[in-house]
Amino acid sequence: MVEALQARLDAWVKQRLPQARETTLDQRRIFIVPSKTGLGLLLMVLLLFLLGINFQNSLVYAVCFWLLSLLLLNIFYTWRNLSGLTISAIGVEPCFAGEKAVVEIGLACPDTQRKFALHLGWPGEDAVQVNLATVSSTRVKLSHSTTQRGRFQPPRIHVATRYPAGLALAWSYVTLDMQGIVYPKPVEKNWQAQGKAAVVSSEDGLEIAGGSSDFGGIRDYRPGDAPKHIHWGKYARTGKLHTKVFADYASHDLWLDWDELPLPGIEVRLSHLCSKVLEFHQAQRCYGLKLPGKTIAPGKGEGHKAQCLRALALYGVTDG
Amino acid sequence: MGNGLGTGGNNYITYSGMIWLLAAQLVVMLPFALHLPVWLIPLVLFAAGWRLWVLSGGASQPGTLLKLGLMLFGIGGLFLSGLKFPSLEAMSALLLLGFAFKSLEVIQRRDALVVVFIGYFLVALHFLYTQSILAGLYGVVSLVVLTGALIGTQQTVAEFTAVQNVRFNLRLAAVMLLQCVPLMLLLFVFAPRLQPLWSLPMLTDQAKTGISDRMTPGDIASLSQSAELAFRVTFKGERPAQNQLYWRGLVLNHFDGHEWRQFEQTPDLWQMKELVRQEYAFRPDAVQVAGTPIEYEAVYEKTGQPWLFTLSPTLKVAGDVLQAADFRVMAAQELQAPLLLKATSYPQALRDVQLASSLRELALQLPTDGDLRSRELAQRLRQETGSEQAYIDKVLARFREQQFFYTLRPPTLGDSNTIDEFLFESQRGFCAHYAGSFVFLMRAAGIPARVVAGYQGGEWNAQGQYLAVHQYDAHAWAEVWQQGKGWVQIDPTAVIAPQRVEQGLEAAVQAEGSFLQGQLLSTRHLPWLNGLRHKLDAVQYGWQRWVLGYDQTTQMDLLHAILGELTLLRVATLVGGVLVVILLGWLLMLGLARRHAREALEHQLYRRFCAILAKRGVVRQPGQAPGAFAQQAAAALPAQSDNIRAFTQVYETLCYLPDASGYAKHTRQLKALLGKLS
Repeated sequence: MVEALQARLDAWVKQRLPQARETTLDQRRIFIVPSKTGLGLLLMVLLLFLLGINFQNSLVYAVCFWLLSLLLLNIFYTWRNLSGLTISAIGVEPCFAGEKAVVEIGLACPDTQRKFALHLGWPGEDAVQVNLATVSSTRVKLSHSTTQRGRFQPPRIHVATRYPAGLALAWSYVTLDMQGIVYPKPVEKNWQAQGKAAVVSSEDGLEIAGGSSDFGGIRDYRPGDAPKHIHWGKYARTGKLHTKVFADYASHDLWLDWDELPLPGIEVRLSHLCSKVLEFHQAQRCYGLKLPGKTIAPGKGEGHKAQCLRALALYGVTDG
Repeated sequence: MGNGLGTGGNNYITYSGMIWLLAAQLVVMLPFALHLPVWLIPLVLFAAGWRLWVLSGGASQPGTLLKLGLMLFGIGGLFLSGLKFPSLEAMSALLLLGFAFKSLEVIQRRDALVVVFIGYFLVALHFLYTQSILAGLYGVVSLVVLTGALIGTQQTVAEFTAVQNVRFNLRLAAVMLLQCVPLMLLLFVFAPRLQPLWSLPMLTDQAKTGISDRMTPGDIASLSQSAELAFRVTFKGERPAQNQLYWRGLVLNHFDGHEWRQFEQTPDLWQMKELVRQEYAFRPDAVQVAGTPIEYEAVYEKTGQPWLFTLSPTLKVAGDVLQAADFRVMAAQELQAPLLLKATSYPQALRDVQLASSLRELALQLPTDGDLRSRELAQRLRQETGSEQAYIDKVLARFREQQFFYTLRPPTLGDSNTIDEFLFESQRGFCAHYAGSFVFLMRAAGIPARVVAGYQGGEWNAQGQYLAVHQYDAHAWAEVWQQGKGWVQIDPTAVIAPQRVEQGLEAAVQAEGSFLQGQLLSTRHLPWLNGLRHKLDAVQYGWQRWVLGYDQTTQMDLLHAILGELTLLRVATLVGGVLVVILLGWLLMLGLARRHAREALEHQLYRRFCAILAKRGVVRQPGQAPGAFAQQAAAALPAQSDNIRAFTQVYETLCYLPDASGYAKHTRQLKALLGKLS
């Protein structure tokens, strides 16, 4: 029953607050209620009213009515403090499952306005308090915990303020159209102990041109070839310059191959591959990745690592 | 919904927030120094100083034991300082103590809020002690500082310096309170004013002032030394002559040989009210109306007593007041605050032409023994004279012809035979002596008579066109019941010192120099300062009449004046209308209502254009260029493609090639195209 209600409420909020790259808060999106402090003041206003009645004291009445007016006016101020605030998606930094994803968002307001004590965050997660007092735009980073690899869509952000007097609470939810990647949690499995003999490398190497170890043949000289690779013997015979060609073999490269992992379960394999990617990257090795339906040629460097991790993160994840 | 807000470390109060609170506390507590034990102030300062010391890192948080010790010390001090428990005063002192000590431990936002709220309450509480204009202004300042502190608990801008923060918050608080004024006034004027719900504890420091309910020669003399205001009166018509202004308050029926009292047993307020509602109730048929009525409004200062002072007899009277069989008017409550009364009196009317036997009995009472010479004198004179009237004249003539003097410094009289002593030995006295002895002589001759205490005359303020009656105008005179005439007012003092009733007390005792003895009188002798005094007094009177005296009756009168016949619908319309205006004003002032008005006309029209197309299923993506959108829309809605293209073209012309001369023409075109589209 409660869950059904919650679901309906969520659906309603979703429909009322559609997601976008950028959202400007306006009266349609801002909800406002008296805060506990406000209710406390209301109680005191009642007390003062009784005092005013019993002592027939005009000035006590005046204080009582003044505070009541303040309570009302403050609602407008609190509302204004949110109204006109533009929240935009900037990006989500990738992270590993179980770690915190850092979500960066931009806040801006019209030049004529100033905003104070804006509170952004998720219930139970990270939250920050921001002022737009001297600048009209700023960026904030919020972190959100992740549990699962794959795409990470930050949940709707709770934007709230009690400024100026704390007597009212204005809030809105902003669902930003932004996605981050959550890599699998790197967990290495010591599976060789289980007696399997698979290696991470491949025998049937691909040639990598420009190597220097094994002799690969002779070809015509091209300007720029190193003098030490010139086949002087052939030059003596033919009077033409030839260059000796050497090649490195991919058998020196490391392959991370899904199919050769004797591990049970998709996530376990992905976690293991993830840890290996990190390990090889750390060791500055040249490595490739083979996943069912996707092969990434060996390589190294940050870009390569990111490509591999992304492939691991999105393995089996449908777009959308 | 606030669950996101409770997290993090921002529930703690910052240094500047704390300074704010301390400043607010001091501002709020300062005026209480005038009313409560003075030692509270250093205690409060000590607490504040400690707090600041802690904040600057010089001391640690005070321990529980120390706090407990301080609290006990404070409460013990309150007991020892002689405050009555329970009383409103003790409550304010306790509240103040708690308010001060709270600062010893304020760390969290919630504590800070408690401090600010108690502060608000104390501001209101202070108005129970005084409601002067100055106190009102000070209250406004306190409210601004407290509201600034409230804002300070919510936010601190790190980019601002401490001074900037303070200035910013203070300004915001002032602006907000200023913007609240219209609504506050609306509520002040229209919110229903109810009668007190239960009886009030007295403020103990509010000593009862003014005329007391008993008279021993000597009381009124001490009042004569007070320049305090008793009440102010505005007359509807012409101002009556000075010697007609007998402000009648209490009737003193019972004499015990030494002291005049209302009755044999002095009733408390509750008993008095019971009496006035039952056997001592006012009967309108006891008055035979004659002469021209005098309509007036009086604002009585708070005295802590229920007595009101009116011209007699008062027939029409508005407000929460009681009228008694002796024609007095009294408030249903002791005056804790100024009270406004509207009354109509008929001084020439006849009162009690038929005297009820119980009243006659009261008016003939004499002590069983004592003052034998006076009794003999009365009987002798009564026998010598043919009629009651002749007897009365004879007694008054005796006062005039013998060596009687009007003085504020009479010799003290003994405990018994006071009338004899005065009439035959000292022969010096003031109104109380003359009125008392006159009534005694009347009763001794079998003529019903009674002493009336009240005020006589008053100071006319030409600036404000009102009469100010001060404590030194206190007076006592006599009423004698005569066949066919009812109660007749006789003032024996007027016979001895006619200046007293014609020009006031100051003139009557000028030779003696005893008027307001021991007080700074300089202003009364400097004309320009006197003018200033009158002006200030006029402002105060306006404040009292329109602000402090604004009660149910005034409210009804005002509503009648504005609306004519009062119906719920009319009142609701008026209040609702003003409320809407105020709310709109707020929206405008806060810049919440002009977003659309500020947008240029062409953009407004373009948004309407997009809305129309969106209804037909073509939605413009945020940031999509108008040209691209036009293509998409034209493709989706071929029938309207010409209009869509034309509209977009004109719109783009307006946006990118602004031309002031063609603006009106172009916007007209846009409107026309929009008409075709929809």
